[in-house]
Amino acid sequence: MTAVPLTRDAGARAPALRVAIGAVALIGLAIASYLTVVHYTGDQPVCAIAHGCAVVQQSDYAALAGIPVAVLGVAGYLAILGSLVREGELWRGATALFALAGFGFSAWLTYVEIVRLDAICIWCVGSAICMTILAVLAVVRVLSAPPPALRP
Amino acid sequence: MSTQSKPTKRELREQRRAERLESERAEAAAAARKRRGLTLLGALGVAAVVVVIAIAVSSSGGKSDTPAPAASTGQAASLFAGIPERDGVLGKKSAPLTLTEFVDLQCPICAVTSKTTLPTLIQDYVRTGKVKLDARTLHFIGPDSSTAALMAAGAQQQGKLWPFLEAFYAMQGEENSGYVNDGFLRQVAQAAGVDADKALAYARTAAAQDRLNQANRDAETLGVNATPTFAVARGDGQAKVIAGGNHDIGSLSAALDAEAKQ
Repeated sequence: MTAVPLTRDAGARAPALRVAIGAVALIGLAIASYLTVVHYTGDQPVCAIAHGCAVVQQSDYAALAGIPVAVLGVAGYLAILGSLVREGELWRGATALFALAGFGFSAWLTYVEIVRLDAICIWCVGSAICMTILAVLAVVRVLSAPPPALRP
Repeated sequence: MSTQSKPTKRELREQRRAERLESERAEAAAAARKRRGLTLLGALGVAAVVVVIAIAVSSSGGKSDTPAPAASTGQAASLFAGIPERDGVLGKKSAPLTLTEFVDLQCPICAVTSKTTLPTLIQDYVRTGKVKLDARTLHFIGPDSSTAALMAAGAQQQGKLWPFLEAFYAMQGEENSGYVNDGFLRQVAQAAGVDADKALAYARTAAAQDRLNQANRDAETLGVNATPTFAVARGDGQAKVIAGGNHDIGSLSAALDAEAKQ
């Protein structure tokens, strides 16, 4: 009695999406960790391309209810990585939830940088790109999840 | 001419089984699609709520739009009582060290520094004649910073740059919200004891703009790209950066003491 997946494509794509999400989340985690270290050591972020990192880092928007945004980023990426530990609809939904929330907040912060602060932090842009990719991958993963197997 | 043979019972059973499986597959696929849609909708809904709340908290910036009470601006002004200020330089002319603070009037850490670091600097170093304080008002946070810096140049003309900076920090509003208008600057000027009309008139001159340009050039020379940044110079010597960003008064004092011993 063997289980037969209904759609072979979806079944094959699921692990690849999981790995891709994990890889992008690790990159995002590295960026957020760097910004967290910079925040607590009082250093200035290395900002070779755009020179707005210090402006963004020192602005009112660098903290949310007293919690540095960089720390929230670390928490967000860890939550995404944590939700990848197990397969299942609930876990895929959790990944999508964290990634979509991260994407929405990153979009807001990017708007703040461009419109309100008139400064671009290349690290924040990097994190926003990671969150955008994660949101797309997480949504695709939910929509293309392999359906339950039927017994012949 | 061949006649099609009648399916056997076994074949009929297999056919019915295949049809049943196909139907179950179709039903399962439809149910899975529906479930995925609901999962995604749920995630989207919760994420949207989280983001809206986060944006509401973030855009408030944790700050009140109302200016600080007059008491706090009065305290700031009294900090400088009796200390001479010439061309934006606060302290005795004979002080061997010049500590230049690079600020942006919209910078929240500069406002914090004015409360945490400046009182100690003034009491222990400026009043004792060891150090004189200079300031460079940068304007890289945005247009409100430029307006504020030009007005600061007007206050400097009247020998009231430092009281103006402190009064401004005490009333600092949300970054680049357009709050730095003539009305707001008049309030700050009044709290700092600055003649608002004169300062506003000076702020519109090319000389005021020159001061901003000079501040930018000085920042560029020293590689200053964040505020506040402190640079120290002995006499007319070359300035060097000794502290910046989230510094603490302990490390700044130590750097100043070390410089004084040289």
